[in-house]
Amino acid sequence: MKVDNNVALENKLSRVDALLKVSGAAKYTADQYPAGMIHGKLVRFPYGAGKIKSADVEAARKVAGVLEVEIDLAEEARYPGWPVGHIVAESRTAVEDAEEALGLSFEMTPPSSVPDRIYEGAGGLDAEAEQRVDGALRNAAAVVEGTWRTQVQTHSCLEPHGSVVDCRGDSAEVWGSTQSTFGHLDMAEPTGLDRSKILVHNEFVGGGFGSKFGIGTEGDLAGRMSKKYGRPCKVMLNRREEHLDAGNRPGSIQYIKLGADETGKILGGRVDGVSIVGFGRGGGGVTNLGDERFNNYDLGDYEFTQSEINLNFSKPRAFRAPGWPQATFALEGAVDELAEKLGMDPVEIRLRNYRSKRRLKQLEWGAEVAGWSRRRTTGSQTGRVRTGMGVAGAMWPLWNTQCGAEAEIHRNGQVEVRVGVQDIGTGTFTVVTDVAVHELGLDRSLVTGKVGNSSYPQGPGSGGSQVSRSAAPATRKAVLAALDELKSIVAREWKVSREDIQYKNGVFENGDKVLDWKKACSLMSGDKLTVSGRTETGREGDGTSDCVQFAEVEVDTETGIVRVKRIVAVHAAGVIVNRLTIENQICGGVIQGVSYALFEDVRLDPNTGAMVNPEFINYKIAGSKDVPEIIPVLDVEDSDTGVRPIGEPATIPTAAAIGNAIANAIGARVYQLPMTPERVLGALERKEAGA
Amino acid sequence: MKAFEYAVAKNERGVHTAINRGYKVKAGGIDLLDLMKERIESPDKLVSVLAVDSLGGVRETDDHIEVGALVTLEALTVDPLVAKIAPALADSVRQAATAQIRAVATVGGNICQRPRCWYFRSKEHHCLKKGGATCFAVEGDNTYHAMYGRGPCHIVHASNVATALRALEGEVAASNGTDERVIGADRFFVTPDRSMYAENTLDDDEVVTKIRIPKSIGRNAYVDLKEKQSFDWPLASAAVAEVDGKWNVVLGAVAPVPWYSKEATAVLRDAGEVNDSVAERVADAALKDAEPMSRNAWRLKLVRAAVRRAVLMADGKEID
Repeated sequence: MKVDNNVALENKLSRVDALLKVSGAAKYTADQYPAGMIHGKLVRFPYGAGKIKSADVEAARKVAGVLEVEIDLAEEARYPGWPVGHIVAESRTAVEDAEEALGLSFEMTPPSSVPDRIYEGAGGLDAEAEQRVDGALRNAAAVVEGTWRTQVQTHSCLEPHGSVVDCRGDSAEVWGSTQSTFGHLDMAEPTGLDRSKILVHNEFVGGGFGSKFGIGTEGDLAGRMSKKYGRPCKVMLNRREEHLDAGNRPGSIQYIKLGADETGKILGGRVDGVSIVGFGRGGGGVTNLGDERFNNYDLGDYEFTQSEINLNFSKPRAFRAPGWPQATFALEGAVDELAEKLGMDPVEIRLRNYRSKRRLKQLEWGAEVAGWSRRRTTGSQTGRVRTGMGVAGAMWPLWNTQCGAEAEIHRNGQVEVRVGVQDIGTGTFTVVTDVAVHELGLDRSLVTGKVGNSSYPQGPGSGGSQVSRSAAPATRKAVLAALDELKSIVAREWKVSREDIQYKNGVFENGDKVLDWKKACSLMSGDKLTVSGRTETGREGDGTSDCVQFAEVEVDTETGIVRVKRIVAVHAAGVIVNRLTIENQICGGVIQGVSYALFEDVRLDPNTGAMVNPEFINYKIAGSKDVPEIIPVLDVEDSDTGVRPIGEPATIPTAAAIGNAIANAIGARVYQLPMTPERVLGALERKEAGA
Repeated sequence: MKAFEYAVAKNERGVHTAINRGYKVKAGGIDLLDLMKERIESPDKLVSVLAVDSLGGVRETDDHIEVGALVTLEALTVDPLVAKIAPALADSVRQAATAQIRAVATVGGNICQRPRCWYFRSKEHHCLKKGGATCFAVEGDNTYHAMYGRGPCHIVHASNVATALRALEGEVAASNGTDERVIGADRFFVTPDRSMYAENTLDDDEVVTKIRIPKSIGRNAYVDLKEKQSFDWPLASAAVAEVDGKWNVVLGAVAPVPWYSKEATAVLRDAGEVNDSVAERVADAALKDAEPMSRNAWRLKLVRAAVRRAVLMADGKEID
C-alpha cells in the first residue's frame, strides 16, 4: 500500500505563528485601536420582512458620545438583519445606548421562512429528457428515488467581519478581516480615494470560509465615516450580525432518481435540485446541484434541472466548496441506496462508477485504514447502540492564478519573503516560510515569510483553495532568483563565473573555496537585495484533486443521538509543504462537515421570520467532545503536480459519509440535514411502520 | 452592554449593603453577562460576591450536606462527600457547558439562571416573560420548549442542578442580611402561572447562600441526554433518588420547573425492587402527564430513555 511517501518539502514543524496566536500577541482587525477611533454600527431590521414604523432618532442623537444616527423609514426590509440605518459614536457602548434609545417599532409583513411551504415538488424535465431517463431505467435491476434536504448553514467565522479605516487626507490605512488582501482596496469606493492610495493590513484573519471577499456593508460604513469625520472608524459585526448578514451556505431540496443494472453500473437518472437561497443569488447554491461536471460519477443517461426558492433570509455567499456538500450528501446517499437495493458493497458500487482512477485507489486505501471489512450488513444489528460505516467521495478542480512574491536577503543573513496573499487561519505564513526554507536549505530561524499586506506583490484571494498552490511556486521563484544574485556576489568575490558556484544548504562552494550563508551575505555592498518573482499561473496539474472519506458512527436507537467515532479522510495532497498544516486543514474540514451533518441549522421563526438562534448556544456547532478521531491519509502519488488544494475538498464528503454510516447502522435513512435525534428517531419509526 | 458601576463585596454584610443600595448580585457571571450583552437585563450597578468566603465550600452537618452558593460546578463534581452521598447532584453538572464555564459558574448561579428560551433571549420577541402579551413558542418553533405543564409561558428550566436537587429533596437557603430562610426545592422553583417574571421565589433583597441535601439519601442517579456532547443544554433529563427510603422521580428540561413525576414516582415506590421491567414501567408512567407542543413530542422518547436509565443507574445496574 503506497499511501504516503516522504516528499522533499515535507516537514513536521509547527506553524511559524503558533506562539503569537496562542499567546494572544497576534493582532487581528478587531484588536486595532488607533488613537481617536470612532465606532460605527448598522441598525438592522430584526424580522423576516417589513418596515420601520417609528424611530426616535432625536433621542438616539442625544445620547452622550453619539456623532450621528440615520434611519431610513422608507427602506423595505426583506430579511432579518437588513440594514435600515446606522449609528456612529465615540464608543461601542454609546453606539449600543443610541440603538436602544431609538426605541424602534416595526411594521411586519408576513415572511416566507419555511422552505417546504414554497417548495412545489421536483422541477420539471422536458418531455424528451424525461423519456430518455425513463428509457434508460426501463431495464434497470434497481431504481431508487427520494427527496433530500439540506439546511442553511452560516460561516460562523470566529473573528467577525469588519474593518478599521483610517483616512488621512488623500490616503488611507485600512485593517480588514478579509480573505482578499487586494479585494479590500475596494475601500477606495466609500473613501473616495484612488486604489493606489490605500494600504490594507490583514496579517491575521480569524476565518473566512468564503464569506470575506468584499468590504461588505460594514466596511463601506467604516470607510464613509472615517472619510467624513477624518478619524479612524471601526465597524466590526457582532455574533448576531454574523449569523444574520454575513453570508451562508444555502439550503437545498433535491429530488433524485437513479437506476443501475445488476452489476451496479449506473444506467441513468435525474436530479431536480432546488436551492434555498434567501434574498438574492450566489453562494454556489443552485449551480452545483445535480450538475454532472461537479459530481464523481459516470451516470449514463442522466438529466438534471436546477431552480431556486427564496426565503426572507440574507444572501448566500461562497462557503467552503460552494454547493458541493449539499449535492454530495444527496447523490452519495442515493448511490448508497442503490447499492443497498442491489445487495452490493458501497465501496464496490463506487469502484464500478467513479470516473477518477485516482479515487479508485483512494477507496482501496481508505477501506484498509478504516477497517471496512468490519462493516456489518445494513440493518442486521438489533442492540440499542448500533455502529455503522459509510463512505463518500468528492473532487476539486485545480485553480491557477497569477501570483507575485518578493524575496529580500539582508546583509546579516536574514531572509524575508513577502507575498500578497493572506492567512485566514490556514497556515499561509508557514507555507511561504517553509518553501523558502526548503529552497534555500537554511534554518527556519533565518527566514521570515510575510503575507497579508497590500504593499506586497499581488496574489490571489483565498478562494477555490488556490493560495498555497499559487504562493508556493511564486515564493520558490523569488527566493531562487535572490539566491542567484547572492551567488553573483560570491562569484565576483571569488572571481569565478556564477555558474561555477555550487550551493547547498547555506554553503557556497567552488573548488576548495567554501563560504557559509552569513559570510556570503556580508559580502553585499548594500544592506539588502530585493528580488521579485512571479508565476503567471500555478503549476499545471492533471485535472482534479480527489478524496474519499470513511465515517464510523454509533447510533443510540433509544434516543436517536449519533456520535461520530472516526473519520478516515484520504486526500490527494500533492507536494506536502508542511505536514501539520495540511493535516490541520483536513481535520478542520472534517470537523466543519461533522458540524454540518449533525448540528448546524439556521432556525427562522415561522411567524416573525426572525432568526431565533443567532448565537452559539442554539446555533449548535460541534464542540470538542463532538469531534471524532480523524485520520488524515495523504495521497502523495501526484506530488509531481505541485501543491494541491485541500481546504475545500476536505469538507465536501463528510456529511454524506456520516449519513451513509447512520443508514448502515440502523437500516433506515435520514434524508435531511442536520441528522438530529428527532430525524434519526423518525427514520427508525418509519422503518418500524414498514414505510 | 450598558455601562455599569461595579463593586466587590468582601463579606455577606457588604453584599446586603450593596443590594439595599440597588446593586445586582454577580457571582460567576456566566448567565448575567450574556443577558447584559443582549440587553435583556441592564443593571446599573453590579456587586461581585466572589470574594465572600462564607458563601463557598462544602460542609457536613448532622443531617445535611451543605454546598455554598459559590461552589463552582467543577468543584461540585469532584467533591468526595457529594460524590459519595449524592452522585445525582455531582453528575448533574459533570458534563454541563464546557470545562472553562464549569470552572467559573457557581451552584447558586446555576439554580438562578434565566431560561434559555430563544424567544426570551431575543429582544425582538416581546414575550410574556418580558411583559408582552404572547408566548411566541406556542405558534412558533417550540422544539426545545416545555412538554409538561400548561404555560402560559412554555420555557424549560435551564438548571441541571435544580433537577437533581428536587429529586434529592434538597433545599435552598437564602438570606436578606437579617434573616436566613430555608426553602424546599419543591417551593423554590415556581411555575409561570404563579410567577411570570421570576423562575424562583427569592425576594428582591435575598441572595442564595447555599443549597443543602439531607444525609438520609439512599440510591440516586441523574441522566441527561443532549444533542451535542460539548456546551449544550439537555433535550431531556431525569433525576431519581431515594430519600428516607422513598423514591422520587424528577424530570428536567421538560417544564418551567423541575417536573416532579407523581405517576413515575408512584410506580417506582410500589415496585419494591428495581429491574429492567420496573424501569420500563416507571419510564412509561413518566409520560402520562405530558402535554407536548407542536414540534417537541419526539423528545418524549428521550424523557423515557432518561428516566429508564436513571432508575437503573440509581440501583447500580448496567444499562443495555
